Amino acid sequence: MKIKTPVWIVGLVATLAIITIPIILFIPDQSPALDNPASALPQRPEETNHAALLPGPYASGAEVTRACLDCHPEAASQVMQTTHWTWESEPFEVSWRDEPVTIGKINQLNNFCISAQGNQKSCMSCHVGYGWEEGAEPFDFSNAENVDCLVCHAQTGYAKGSYGNPAEGSDLVAAAQSVSLPTRENCGTCHFNGGGGNNVKHGDLSEALYYPDATTDVHMGAYDFQCIDCHQTSDHQIKGRLVVDNMVIDPAEQVACTDCHTGAPHTDERVNNHTTRVACQTCHIPSFANDDPTKMVWDWSTSGQDIAEDHYTYLKIKGSFQYASEVQPSYLWFNGNLDYRYLLGDPINPDGPTLINDLAGDINDLNAKIYPFKIHQSFQPYDTVNNYLLAPITAGPEGYWTNFDWDLAFELAEAVTGLEYSGEYGFTETLMFWPTTHQVQPATEALQCADCHGENGRMDWLALGYPGDPLLWGGRSQVNP
Amino acid sequence: MNHRKIMKHTNPSKMLVLAGFSLLILLVLAAGIALQGVLASPNLEADYQTSPTHPDFELLDENGANVLQSGGAISTMRTCGSCHDTEFISSHSFHASAGLESLAAPGEVPGGHEWDFSRGMFGRWNPLTYRYLSPLEADTLDLSTPDWVRWQSERHVGGGPAVTSRQGQPLTELVPDATNVEASALEPNSGERLPWDWQESGVVEMNCFLCHTPQPDNASRIASLNAGEFRWAATATLAGSPIVQSVGDSYRYNLQAFNDAGQVTQEAIRIQDPANANCGLCHGVVHSETREPLIAASCSTDRLPFSTTGQVFSPQRLNDSGVNLENKESLTRTWDVHAERLVNCTDCHFSLNNPVYFQQTADSAPTHLDFDPRRIELGEYLYQPVHDFARGESAQNTLAPELTATMRRCEDCHNTADTHTWLPYKERHMAEISCESCHIPEVNFSAVQQVDWTAIHLESTPITSFRGVENCTPTLQAGTTPVNTHVNYVSAAGTGSGTVNQLVTGYTPVLMPRVESDGEQKLAPYNLVTSWYWVYGDPAQPVRLEDLEAAYVQGRGYAPEVVAVFDRNADGVLVSSELALDTPEKEALIAGRLSALGLDNPRIQGEIQPYSINHGVTNGAWVTRDCQTCHSDDSLLSQPILLATYQPGGQLPEFVGNSNVLANGELFTTEYGSLYYRPDLEASGLYIFGKNRLAWVDILGSLAFVGVLLGIGVHGGLRFYAALRMPHNSPRTRKVYMYTVYERLWHWLQTFTILLLLFTGLIIHRPDTFGIFSFAYVVQVHNILGAVLLVNAGLALFYHLASGEIKQYLPRLGGFFDQAIVQASFYLRGIFRGDPHPFEKTPQRKLNPLQQVTYFGILNVLLPLQMITGVLMWGVQRFPALANSLGGLPFLAPFHTLIAWLFAAFIVAHVYLTTTGPEPLALIRAMMQGWDEVEILDQNEEASHHDHGDAKTSSE
Repeated sequence: MKIKTPVWIVGLVATLAIITIPIILFIPDQSPALDNPASALPQRPEETNHAALLPGPYASGAEVTRACLDCHPEAASQVMQTTHWTWESEPFEVSWRDEPVTIGKINQLNNFCISAQGNQKSCMSCHVGYGWEEGAEPFDFSNAENVDCLVCHAQTGYAKGSYGNPAEGSDLVAAAQSVSLPTRENCGTCHFNGGGGNNVKHGDLSEALYYPDATTDVHMGAYDFQCIDCHQTSDHQIKGRLVVDNMVIDPAEQVACTDCHTGAPHTDERVNNHTTRVACQTCHIPSFANDDPTKMVWDWSTSGQDIAEDHYTYLKIKGSFQYASEVQPSYLWFNGNLDYRYLLGDPINPDGPTLINDLAGDINDLNAKIYPFKIHQSFQPYDTVNNYLLAPITAGPEGYWTNFDWDLAFELAEAVTGLEYSGEYGFTETLMFWPTTHQVQPATEALQCADCHGENGRMDWLALGYPGDPLLWGGRSQVNP
Repeated sequence: MNHRKIMKHTNPSKMLVLAGFSLLILLVLAAGIALQGVLASPNLEADYQTSPTHPDFELLDENGANVLQSGGAISTMRTCGSCHDTEFISSHSFHASAGLESLAAPGEVPGGHEWDFSRGMFGRWNPLTYRYLSPLEADTLDLSTPDWVRWQSERHVGGGPAVTSRQGQPLTELVPDATNVEASALEPNSGERLPWDWQESGVVEMNCFLCHTPQPDNASRIASLNAGEFRWAATATLAGSPIVQSVGDSYRYNLQAFNDAGQVTQEAIRIQDPANANCGLCHGVVHSETREPLIAASCSTDRLPFSTTGQVFSPQRLNDSGVNLENKESLTRTWDVHAERLVNCTDCHFSLNNPVYFQQTADSAPTHLDFDPRRIELGEYLYQPVHDFARGESAQNTLAPELTATMRRCEDCHNTADTHTWLPYKERHMAEISCESCHIPEVNFSAVQQVDWTAIHLESTPITSFRGVENCTPTLQAGTTPVNTHVNYVSAAGTGSGTVNQLVTGYTPVLMPRVESDGEQKLAPYNLVTSWYWVYGDPAQPVRLEDLEAAYVQGRGYAPEVVAVFDRNADGVLVSSELALDTPEKEALIAGRLSALGLDNPRIQGEIQPYSINHGVTNGAWVTRDCQTCHSDDSLLSQPILLATYQPGGQLPEFVGNSNVLANGELFTTEYGSLYYRPDLEASGLYIFGKNRLAWVDILGSLAFVGVLLGIGVHGGLRFYAALRMPHNSPRTRKVYMYTVYERLWHWLQTFTILLLLFTGLIIHRPDTFGIFSFAYVVQVHNILGAVLLVNAGLALFYHLASGEIKQYLPRLGGFFDQAIVQASFYLRGIFRGDPHPFEKTPQRKLNPLQQVTYFGILNVLLPLQMITGVLMWGVQRFPALANSLGGLPFLAPFHTLIAWLFAAFIVAHVYLTTTGPEPLALIRAMMQGWDEVEILDQNEEASHHDHGDAKTSSE
């Protein structure tokens, strides 16, 4: 009887072994489970109904802000740390300036409406504050009550008007009571209308995203993403930086596809191998401006004429334009940073287009990938004596949009920008590179091999630095071992 | 630019010359700008394949003079022959020879028709193109050699029979002679046989430009062939380029395309490797754009090789194309994955001496070498590039059979082993099924189904039907076009039938066994095209189209006699459905009218031609990968395919001979007259689990099972009845430790594995009945259980042998039969009377004689047999030769099934007999606990007890 227990154990073990060994031998290799991008999504907290908390009445935006701060005392000071408030970047050291420089709407220009400086009346409708006016009284960046909570949080009854103040007819009580996490509508109010109209500036951010379907944007259309699902926010610091207004971007502050789509996301090994030199966006955003046209060319030199106006071709105040739809992006090496950003007072390029921003990275830069870009071409005013770009005052009773007098517009700007105007102006070509990164398409719409490679490919391999189509000539590891 | 070059060569000393040159410079400058404009115009083929090194060269005529001087037609042999060995090229090209090298007497072509006299399209009659190239000795002419060149060589690149006579003479040396098939032609309208002057027409040289320039003008080439201006065919091919301009009936050379040395510039001609579109000119629909929608007409026989299968070679997604496809939105795959990944036609169908592609075959390579680096030099190759191209083994490749399967096969490029790890029985599947069978699950286009030449439309076209498309209306309105145009229906100058409007449903190819060049037989996808036609005479030959027209047509309409018999609805117009020869009256009328034309014994023949499907390959989720696509009652492998909706003259068609396709299936006609072909898996040596079943095995097996059930029902009922009538006196029992731990473990493990094996086996046997189970999963479980059973049985055998317990199962010789009869009579009689069991059960002798013989049979015969057949069936993937030597799956699988039935029957009986103990569940309990309640038999209880003193016992 002594050995009875061990026999049972031996028998059980043997039986289990008889069963498990064949199972182990027969079960085929399982392919590793694909990553689950949804797991990286933030959990949306339950919304608090503010109707009872904010009874009103509110005479001004500042009063609403004060009410918000009662419960969220840190909120305003957090917002005041962000570029949404400061309108300028952290300071960067650049080789062509002695002092560190900042970049932002507050001090630099672009090649759309050119400059916000001195044009606060309209421009400030997209500043997250109240009452930023030009003139003797400088805007108080330290006053918490100037922070506009509603523009990002109100879901009804609110719009911004002149100098960033609530527009006529805004129902501040209703607006305050409707606050929630920012929705696509909140972000879109400004970001879908950059450059002065729907989809004008970015090409990949349009009002179509208010009610998207999967082919507008697969994340928003098929999975009902909000902007802040990718542009995740803590303490009002929103992730994601626009390369146009930064020199060097800390990857930790940037949004990347790989934040959620980790590992080897494609079933095809050949496609996965592309990811070290081709950005996700390159294949997954085959074209931009698919739903609404975007502005590709803006020629300020033709403005001021009393000829037939059309939103898409000519406006007296702005000059002539070219819009385009379903635009195939330009493909360029890009490592996420800029080599150059035009700073106020920089000389223009006398021999060709002046680059407002120049992308960093080339085929030899192993951190660079081929990214899609919208290239916006402009013909904008410059000082033919001083050889720098000019920032006109367009708004106001004396601004260009009222008087159509360029000289006056530049003279007025001298005081605002500090940039001397010689009295002679001309128009010069400028280019601006805008990354195409939104409105990602469903996988079935992604580019295929033949879209880039082969006889009908869209890549200019020679311009990218390859000796020829890498399908035949080898990739950059062979080109630059 | 061109003008700069010219500047260098000007001679400034002579003013006149200078002036002249200045003028020329201006001219060239202007032309250069114009040319640039032309070149900048959007091109289907960009510079991708254009040779970066091809020099400018002179265009020479057949006398070797620069065409700029002579104004003559371009001779490719002279022009390209300046640098390349054009003689070598045209003599190493089955595209050129087209069967000229394999001429035989009519009827002596292997697998050909009685009237075929070569392996290629020059001499091998094709029912789809219908017109018959007359043999030299023909009395009546259908197509003479010049007529063949005019009407059928649009699919011929030139050279071969368009240059050389069947006797090997240059055609230009033939004397025009109305009686010579090679030097005469039929006058289309009168039908009169006229001499043909090859000197005047010139010959059709092998047309280099057709494949080596980016945008050859095939329409102009065909037009010049149709017009009999053979000499100009190559020149016409350049009509779409900046080099040649069509002026009225002739061509003029554009000086702008030439440099000052009179050489055509590479910018103008852009000599290139053949692009897919070049191959597509003759072979099918090729579209290299991903965004520009692909458009191709369905219900059309205009592009013949394409129409026979509907294979499209394009990197475009189906839902991006312009084809009116059913469920188009969901078809997000590309037309062909190789096109998608920029594998071009020439990458697989390469020139056989191209040093880039050449690789010694595994057969001819010595075992010590994986790779032989020796190659011909590129220069040698460019001088003498073999124009026989690597190719697969499609059913139609009767020409140059020695080149069959010179192409690299799927497995030669693809690592199939590592990419199919998910596939159970991978090796078996790979051995029996071609890659195409799963990777071309569907052809998403229309293809010809039936071509009926027994009746013709007024346009001299046959009644044609298509599969993969809905409602192909008659391609032309009958009754208006003048007849006797002799325009062949596949001619590009022909009917232009087809439509882009019909709903294209696509079709599923039929899978038929293909005997590959290595002798292996695999299932592969095919379209079957059935054709019917009139033949006459002995030996037979097809009725000439001219005679057919005479039989049907009179003036501009059908003959009144024909209308009288054919016009079912008496509206005076014959449509396709009325034209079909579906009644004896119609057949007799036409046969009579053909006889009246002097044709001897006109009769209808039908044939079925398999067209292999190798393009339109897909991957990933689009591939057939659901087990039950094949492993089910509706198995794809045995799906019948519709061949025809009627049978002209009631003639059953026959499969064409000498193809590598085994037509071992069955032709059957439905009650509505439709003709189908159903593949026969058994005839192909296949046994598909879940599809194939031997009916008698299942009947026999289920009879045995049901018989046992009935038997125990009756027996049990009687026992119950007897027990009711008898006073219940429990027999005296004592507990004996009957079964050791190991025996019990072995028994129960075996019980569960066998029960589960039976269940999973039943699912595999009849997956349709158990649809909720995953077939692949169940097969996996079955295999694992089988392995468990095998190990368990192996250990048990060792135990029984080592311990000597095996003797329990060995019937004792002495008195075995007597004892068996005693035991049997107990079960038949004594058990109802409450008699004790006749033999005492002891640990040494657990089994009574009946059990001994039964278990001996079960455990030593059936179980090993079942395990061996099971292992062999599993092993068809690992060691197929062994299984095949034992009959293969068609024998092993039904055998395995039969034994499984017997097992099931045994288990029922076995479980029933466990209830015959002292009480119904006692024996089962004993097998679980080891302690058995053994009846104490009256007489020798003590003796028995003492005999087995070593047994562990306990008294009640």
